Amino acid sequence: MTHLTEEEMIEQAYGERENTAAVERHLAACAPCAAAFAELKSDLAEVDRIQAPPRDDLYGARVWAAIADSLPVYRPQPRSWWAAAWRNPWLKGLGYAALTALLVSCAFYAGRLFEQKKTQPPVAQAAPRPQQPKQPIVVVVLDDHLDRSERFLVELKHAELNSTGMASPMRDEARSLLAANRICRQKADKADDPELKTALDHLDHLLGDAANAPGGLNGEAIARLQNEMNAEGVLFEVRVVRSRIAGRSSGTNPEKGGTI
Amino acid sequence: MDRNEHAAIQAVLAGDKEAYGVLVVRHSQTLFRVAFRITGNEADAEDAVQEAFLRGYRKLEGFEARANFGTWIYRIAVHCALDKVRRRRVAEVLRAGESNDPELDQVQVADDAAGPDRLLLSGEINALQMAALQSLTATERTAFVLRHMEDRSTAEIGAALGIDPNAAKQAVFRAVQKMRRRLAPLRMAT
Repeated sequence: MTHLTEEEMIEQAYGERENTAAVERHLAACAPCAAAFAELKSDLAEVDRIQAPPRDDLYGARVWAAIADSLPVYRPQPRSWWAAAWRNPWLKGLGYAALTALLVSCAFYAGRLFEQKKTQPPVAQAAPRPQQPKQPIVVVVLDDHLDRSERFLVELKHAELNSTGMASPMRDEARSLLAANRICRQKADKADDPELKTALDHLDHLLGDAANAPGGLNGEAIARLQNEMNAEGVLFEVRVVRSRIAGRSSGTNPEKGGTI
Repeated sequence: MDRNEHAAIQAVLAGDKEAYGVLVVRHSQTLFRVAFRITGNEADAEDAVQEAFLRGYRKLEGFEARANFGTWIYRIAVHCALDKVRRRRVAEVLRAGESNDPELDQVQVADDAAGPDRLLLSGEINALQMAALQSLTATERTAFVLRHMEDRSTAEIGAALGIDPNAAKQAVFRAVQKMRRRLAPLRMAT
């Protein structure tokens, strides 16, 4: 049988053991432990004799009198008006009601804003679509027209007066260019570009004469057209205008078809 | 907590210093009892009681309204008494270090080890027990007083001393063992 340790007995004496019944059974069965436990209880009972000297009823008053003068006075914290109002149960309830109403209003307003935002088309869709860059297309068309016109003029400049093989194709080309030139002139009028307009006017006269030359483009007509072209400097004008327009149009080659 | 005590504390914090007097009068006896048992000295116990109430007053703003003022000021008093014992021990050690008179040391030892017959005859059993208590460390003595005389639980002792409950239990064990060895002559005499 394992005897109880002194610590276990001390715990038992102070009633702090969790399983006091088991210890009691052991003490009932084990004489040495029972004797040791009885001795411990006796020793502890002896110590119980220590009593504090009695103090009379005025002791507390004397303690207070001894310390009262050395105690500072607490300064009450100033209370704000709302803190005082908050202590009033009626005002407190009213405050809660107002707070609730405010929260509900905020929630309602937020909900409406959310709905409005939801029904509106996205800003990206509402915004006007950026205008297509029409001007570059016009420039490209004009550049093509001027390119063809330049080639026609070069061909006309170097045309042999006695050759009749080129007369018919040149006249057809002149008619085609004349129709395109009129459209370009209309554009030039709107664009308020006097240099371009002058060049297209000179080109129009020349193309009109070439397309409508009486008796076709014979040697005499070609010679007259060459004189007219040289006199007005149509080829030079076309090249200058084409060079300027080609510079405005990205991706176009100003030298396209520009060889003489 | 007692409503009157709560009202008194609120009054003190509102600037009515005299309201603290009610609390002092009500708890002075209890604090003196525990302070005396820890210090073993009336003068030290009275000093500890006053110091406890002074400390309590200064800390009153931090006192939680839900707590029990009696328990709170009791713990402060235990600390104050414990400080008294510790300071006294230090002073005694310093005095012993300064004393080079071997005869004086002999007298002190002889008096401390007086026979049980003489003690019984002079009615100084209580003094012997007090001497046994004095032989304990400050923590052991406080733990023993709170456990044995104040019927405080181990958890309460730990809280009062600021130590773990298991450490408080060990302090009680050591105190009881030392007390029994110290009081063994008395047991043989009776």
